[in-house]
Amino acid sequence: MDLFLQFLTNGLVVGVFYALSALGLTLIFGLMRVVNFAHGEFYMLGGVVGWFATTYLGLDFFSGLVLVALAMGGFGWVVDRFLIERVRGQGEEPGILLTIGLSIFLVNITLLAIGPAPLKVTRAITEGPIFLGPVTITKMRLLAMAIGVTLIFGAHAIIHRTRLGSAMRATFQDPMAASLAGIRTKQVYAATFALGCTLSALSGMLLASIYSAQASVGGLVSLKSFVVVILGGMGSFPGAIAGGLLLGVAEALWGGYVATGMVDIIGFLLVILILVLRPQGLFSIRAERA
Amino acid sequence: MSAITMDAPDAVAGRTEPVLRVRDLHVSYGSTAALHGISLDVHAGETVALIGANGAGKSTTLRAISGLLKARSGSIAWNGKPIANRPPEEIVAAGIAHCPEERHVWSGMTVEENIALGAYLCRSKEEVRTRMGMAFHRFPRLRERARQMAGTLSGGEQQMLAIARALMSEPRLLMLDEPSLGLSPRMADEVFDVVRAINAHGVTVLLVEQNIHNALAVASRAYVVKTGRIAAARPAAELRGDPELLKAYLGG
Repeated sequence: MDLFLQFLTNGLVVGVFYALSALGLTLIFGLMRVVNFAHGEFYMLGGVVGWFATTYLGLDFFSGLVLVALAMGGFGWVVDRFLIERVRGQGEEPGILLTIGLSIFLVNITLLAIGPAPLKVTRAITEGPIFLGPVTITKMRLLAMAIGVTLIFGAHAIIHRTRLGSAMRATFQDPMAASLAGIRTKQVYAATFALGCTLSALSGMLLASIYSAQASVGGLVSLKSFVVVILGGMGSFPGAIAGGLLLGVAEALWGGYVATGMVDIIGFLLVILILVLRPQGLFSIRAERA
Repeated sequence: MSAITMDAPDAVAGRTEPVLRVRDLHVSYGSTAALHGISLDVHAGETVALIGANGAGKSTTLRAISGLLKARSGSIAWNGKPIANRPPEEIVAAGIAHCPEERHVWSGMTVEENIALGAYLCRSKEEVRTRMGMAFHRFPRLRERARQMAGTLSGGEQQMLAIARALMSEPRLLMLDEPSLGLSPRMADEVFDVVRAINAHGVTVLLVEQNIHNALAVASRAYVVKTGRIAAARPAAELRGDPELLKAYLGG
């Protein structure tokens, strides 16, 4: 039982980052309908920029986090205005090709610039365990998880409480009606892409502070985020969170009780199950998209 | 019936300067031309109808005026200022609201959110609240359903919502595209009563309508649009009283 609680805790910690990263993808893939194969590279760049900020620039962890948010938000904005905008409204295939190309480009530029070695993000606090009954968790994991949860709530507040958020929801439900109401839909698309990119990148930096950042990590992250988004339901906010936690816990339990070497298989098993049993995902937002 | 080209197609032109002046407007969808030189005038306080068969170019004309479509050539002037090819948000800000065909309410948002977003360009929360109060006063049924998802409303209620939303930008010209589409005759009558009331409040109306009887009952003048051109411009009463003439224009 104690072991189970420990696995569960480990799963929930990782699940928060899956959720955060998937939130970034669900905005871009679920709402904007851009099948973003560069998602994992945004995540990877978050870790790399975080490493650069905390070691090269000598910033502390939190300033590094802010820098990652700003830099990757700006990067996302530029990618949307100069690349994604050219293929908008032309179906999914051009977007797929574009983001695959972007992903290859970003990986190789990163390899060229910093090489393939894993990089450490300087931690915010000294490492040390905290004991919660039978469960052990390191301070840094707890802190990173708290930041992740805060960011999830922050993103929710932006989408549901702000003028930009209303504009986003209106644009994705009916872009023509949004234009006629005076919403600059091009800027809304760019802002959403920037927000999605920022969330992925922050998740990447947080996880890099626990594990490490590496140029080649993107592919697996993309796959897992697609798994989470499909589990939770396309474009669904609660779905991304539930799907992320579910995947994290399932992987931790599978790794703990079954086989550590095949942890990555569990996500795909879950996706096959959900596609057979409930193809719209755990949280359907069909009504919201209309 | 050959298309008539006119410099001033307005039968009562010369009375005042038109608030909206469209000249020789050409619009294409890709390489397919949809409008082959539309010219029309709308004067302050009028209700003008665009009538014509399906695919004649009525909706395209509205969509070009509101900035959803680019004009290939020709001019659109609003109070003397050229507005052709300006983005939609500038057109709304200038005082032209477009209530599109098939209503296009945000079905996954509440009635309240739909109405509030109609005043998206208005930065003052106070002002938005005042306008919402006016909208609910004009459409009491929408107040009852304020918290409901717009997608759960009946067709007529959705049309009222679409009109209420368009009015939230406090336009001086309201362009309505097929407001009675898919509505019961009784509901359609209600919608046209609303259009009359809006016009009586000083809002100029440009109306596109398939239901010619209704359109001519509410409008003072009408343009007959045929294959992307203006085929005729007549006072509504004249068209109403001459079914043969109408038949000739609309191709029976």
